[in-house]
Amino acid sequence: MASTYDFAVGGTSIRDALRALKNASVPGDESGSSIVTPAGPALELTPADATPPRLEPAEPIESDPTAVREVGEPVVAFAAFLDGIQTSRALYPDGDSTPLVHGTVAAVIRQRADRALHTWGGAPLISRAFHAPVALLSPRLVARFHAANIPIEDTLEPGDAPDARHPMELLALARNAVQRRRELLEIELAERWTDSETAPLFVDGGISGAGRASQSVLSVGVVKSHRTLYTAGESLAVITALKAAARSAAFEIRPKYRSTVASWYLRLRDARGRDPFFGLVRVEIARESFTSARADEVSRWVLAERSPVSLPDKRWSTMAYGIRDCEEYLRALTGA
Amino acid sequence: MSILGRVVATERKPNTPHEFHFWTALDSPVGIGTIVRVESAQPVSGALPVVYGVVVEGFGYTDVETPLHEVLGYDGEPGGDPGAPTRRTEIRLYSAAVLRHVPEEPLQPVAMGTVHLASDADVAIALRMDAYLTPGASTGIPVGLYRSGATASPVYLDADFLLGPEAAHLNISGVSGLATKTSAVEWLLASIFAHFPEKKGRVAAVCFNVKGPDLCFLDQPAAKLDDADRALYDRLGVPAEPFKDVEYYAPYTAKGFALNTLRSNEALAYNVKPLTWGLREVLQYAEVLLNKDDVDAKADALIDFIKERVVDQEFTDPKYLTSAHRVQSFGELERWFRDLLSGMEKQNAESWRTHHVATIRKVRNRLTNISTRCRGLVTDDGTVSDLPFGEFRDRAVYVVDVANLEADAQDLIFSRIVSQLREHLEKRDLGVEHVIVFVDELNKYAPSDGPDTYVRAMLLDIAERGRYLGLVLFAAQQFRSQVHRRVVGNSGTALFGRMDPDELATPGYATLSPATRTKLSTLEKGQLMVRHPHFSQPVFVRFPRPAVLSGREGVERFPQAPEQTLEEAITRSLRALDNTVTLDWVKETVALAEEEEVLRARNRTLQAKPDDVKAFFRAQLKRRVRSEPTDAPPRQPLKKSPTDDPYGF
Repeated sequence: MASTYDFAVGGTSIRDALRALKNASVPGDESGSSIVTPAGPALELTPADATPPRLEPAEPIESDPTAVREVGEPVVAFAAFLDGIQTSRALYPDGDSTPLVHGTVAAVIRQRADRALHTWGGAPLISRAFHAPVALLSPRLVARFHAANIPIEDTLEPGDAPDARHPMELLALARNAVQRRRELLEIELAERWTDSETAPLFVDGGISGAGRASQSVLSVGVVKSHRTLYTAGESLAVITALKAAARSAAFEIRPKYRSTVASWYLRLRDARGRDPFFGLVRVEIARESFTSARADEVSRWVLAERSPVSLPDKRWSTMAYGIRDCEEYLRALTGA
Repeated sequence: MSILGRVVATERKPNTPHEFHFWTALDSPVGIGTIVRVESAQPVSGALPVVYGVVVEGFGYTDVETPLHEVLGYDGEPGGDPGAPTRRTEIRLYSAAVLRHVPEEPLQPVAMGTVHLASDADVAIALRMDAYLTPGASTGIPVGLYRSGATASPVYLDADFLLGPEAAHLNISGVSGLATKTSAVEWLLASIFAHFPEKKGRVAAVCFNVKGPDLCFLDQPAAKLDDADRALYDRLGVPAEPFKDVEYYAPYTAKGFALNTLRSNEALAYNVKPLTWGLREVLQYAEVLLNKDDVDAKADALIDFIKERVVDQEFTDPKYLTSAHRVQSFGELERWFRDLLSGMEKQNAESWRTHHVATIRKVRNRLTNISTRCRGLVTDDGTVSDLPFGEFRDRAVYVVDVANLEADAQDLIFSRIVSQLREHLEKRDLGVEHVIVFVDELNKYAPSDGPDTYVRAMLLDIAERGRYLGLVLFAAQQFRSQVHRRVVGNSGTALFGRMDPDELATPGYATLSPATRTKLSTLEKGQLMVRHPHFSQPVFVRFPRPAVLSGREGVERFPQAPEQTLEEAITRSLRALDNTVTLDWVKETVALAEEEEVLRARNRTLQAKPDDVKAFFRAQLKRRVRSEPTDAPPRQPLKKSPTDDPYGF
């Protein structure tokens, strides 16, 4: 029976893949596949050994690293929002501890026109794939994947020894692979935008890994999580004490394998009586485009996106509504 | 045609064979009552199914999970942050009731598909009008224009289901004063007269004007008919003109001089005719006026005896009556009673032909009282002026004005006229094959509760059996829930104008969605919701302003004639037959006659319609000799008494 799996159009769901595997004709293997479908939540919703919180020293690029700058009234300037989602689910071949991970990744730019958001470029980018350490899977299962014409993305690097590993380590490898695929989709879209458009793009997360887009004056990255806090000297106390519509001094971030960007912290909402990270975001722009005045201007753009609030998302104090719209849109399309 | 929306079904809101849901863009022209077409891409039995539906409910919501989130978004200040750069995601979700599946079988839940605004052709298919709009054999009667977005499609009723024989009758509900009931009937009558197929026979209408001047100017053009109304008339193929053939009937006032109608202006007198009945006509329907509390079985037996043995024949009873009686009027009946009771008293008899004297007195009291209670309608002298039963004309309207009459007289008129219509239709000699009887305030004549009256029983009979005879009831009322359920239940077609919210809360409207009920309670003038046997769901239509003069404008343009003297009233009546009759001639002619005698002469003249009106009228009056001075010498006064006579007076 012909496979119904078509990787060329972005892959397919777990259900369709399992059906294809079951129906695949493998010479000498009449037993059929036996893969346990997980009942639990997606891997992204389970506790993971995340990077431990840390302070990262950063190079200040404004004269007084402890200065607080009022950025002024919000200004609406962003023309579009870029975000991606990922959902990974682990499956276990019967009697085997080596996990197979089915990952769904998607990214979209939602362009704003007349205060309403529409998908830019005609369609989002969606990709689905299996990730597993191929060398650790049973040859019979791999043959069945081949017979069903379902590719497996190998999570082991070339030259890695096919030794038995802790299943959770294997899961982490797969999850990283899924995340990398999502980032690639986001980079692709960001580059398309900066190559063809002239208006600012609000990017969810940092832009240092956004390829050509990281150097574009159009890209503005907004980071909501703060497991890594960039500080210059005594600036940590300044950051946590920022008042609404105020920013910290800017600093430079130089990742080893990514582009250098200029960044600063910006308080979107009044945090009195709340935790120090309430309404706190870190903004990134291309290093070459940085001036203090531009940092203030971009901050005003970001401030304008406080409304409407992104409730009921738990991250509403730092999440722009356009980014929430991207996520809701992609979830509706992918069923993730 | 562009795609308006898409069908959506969820576990919470699944589609069924009779209902489906779809979403649209925020600016789509969809509203409650919009007819849509669903095209599915999934073939069933080799055919792509098409489903037609009418929107019955709408939902709109955003991605806000609770109102509290919105409060937080504005920091609790409704006026704060007026310009969010992005609008929240918002949805317009509609529920539609299925009007028709094509093909009809297999009947399945509505499949996913694209939703389109219905075109003219779609409306015809959706409402199953294609079955009776066959070119050359159409039985469609335009009831209004369905409008949605750029679509404006005529909606037709099936004459076979409006005037019989398949179904019949029309019921109209709506609050007063919002151009629902009277206007809708006037419009629909015009539409029927314009479109009722000739091969189906002739049709006429009998309208009872029960309040004010509502129906008093059907033959006069409307005071205001704007371009939009004329466009509606053109689109629906109905001439925008008043009724060409209208006759008015009204009883006389209690005085008997003039007709008891608001259409009393002399300029409109040419087609207003008296409605008067004598003893024979009234006795046939005595039970209308004599309710069961009044008349027991014994009295009933005496009334039957009088009807069969006394009225219209020579009646003698030498033992009790002083002479032979020929009873043809209430006056003669009264003389007969008086003679009989006198005879019984003389002989000290307690009963006459098994009828006790008390029963005789009671029946005398009730019967002779009728001419008092229905004065103006019932004549003592037996003069009859009636609707032209047997000579009804095609596309004619006969208006019977009972607005100013007592309830008893209204009941009597209604009962007798409808009974006469039924009898003539049964004998096929009315002059037309279909008669539409329009009655307003149906809740008064056929209430859902209260005593079982003759009128209600008759209305039930029409509602249940009239369609076989061609006797069709068009009835209106403000509160449908207060009308007998068998009367409204037998109305094949129902029209609803703006409704009272309390009325809409009654169980009879439970099948309508809340949104449809809301729309009904806020309908504009000239809008109707239509139920018809061919339509699976009610549809909303717009109809034009009637092309006839409204009652209110009519009484302003044609003020009521001032109260007339006897001579003026006689002059006016006789001039309808002979325009050489003058007031001076009448004064001269009736100078010596009693008022009662003059009125009787007028009635007889009007009934006879003689060639020589003056001679006939004069002949009805008793001959009298006018007093003249004689030539006798003047009488001499008595001799005067002396002034000093102490005994003089």
